[in-house]
Amino acid sequence: MSFGEVIFVLMAVVTMAGALTTVLSASVIYAMVGLVVTMFGIAGIYVYLHAPFLAMMQILIYVGAITILIAFAFMLAGPFYNKPKEWTTGGKFITAFLVSFFSFFMFFGFVQGGPWGEGKAGTFAISTKDIGRALFDRYALPFEMISLLIVVAIIGATMLALFSRGEK
Amino acid sequence: MMGAFMYNSLNIYLFLGVFLLCCGILGLIFRRTLIGMLISIELIMNGAGLNFVAFNRFAAPDAPDGMVFTLFIMGLAAAETAVALAIIILIFKRFKRIEVAGLEEMKD
Repeated sequence: MSFGEVIFVLMAVVTMAGALTTVLSASVIYAMVGLVVTMFGIAGIYVYLHAPFLAMMQILIYVGAITILIAFAFMLAGPFYNKPKEWTTGGKFITAFLVSFFSFFMFFGFVQGGPWGEGKAGTFAISTKDIGRALFDRYALPFEMISLLIVVAIIGATMLALFSRGEK
Repeated sequence: MMGAFMYNSLNIYLFLGVFLLCCGILGLIFRRTLIGMLISIELIMNGAGLNFVAFNRFAAPDAPDGMVFTLFIMGLAAAETAVALAIIILIFKRFKRIEVAGLEEMKD
């Protein structure tokens, strides 16, 4: 087992442990920290997929923006220390566990049996320059649509937070 | 299944993507608060992005289409989180709680 494989297994284990922490922890703040750990693991896996620009963007956007936004929502949405309970009844947990367990095996059997045409590994040379060129050449209209959507979402969020009546 | 190295086969990345999807489904079903459900949705979106990049690497290595779609997913996740958190803060100001079980009325 080479050094690269050890690092890859470490990244995969970090991702899975972070996802399980995110889902199963009893407090929402621990779930947020687990989300950060998952994002770092996925960034490492993007590096193994020859996409270092996406790894950088993953850390910048998810860890730097979205998690900070969720942390601000914790602080604004009231005291969590007097109601830290996140667990529901046992029956609901068993139902959710069964649903996700069976869907895991069903989806994984489906994607593993698919004829994806795996082959040409090792001939992958796409740089950040190619991504930028595709963004401004072939995907120019979706790119502008995404920017318009983000502007509308931010204006809508500000209007919701400012001009609604709030408590009656 | 195994390539020359473990990280040169498609199946391990698909396994991670499906694992993230099922963790998201589990959290989405049994979490009690709205913020916990939002975090679970983030997990599902990350599984989808990982699948896009893995298919771009192994099944269609000629053009960066999957990477571009993963960038679009990140932008969509940012917009969705902003709107959802504004709604959550509004619900908290109005009902004084963010558990889903207590939100029965939409409008007074």
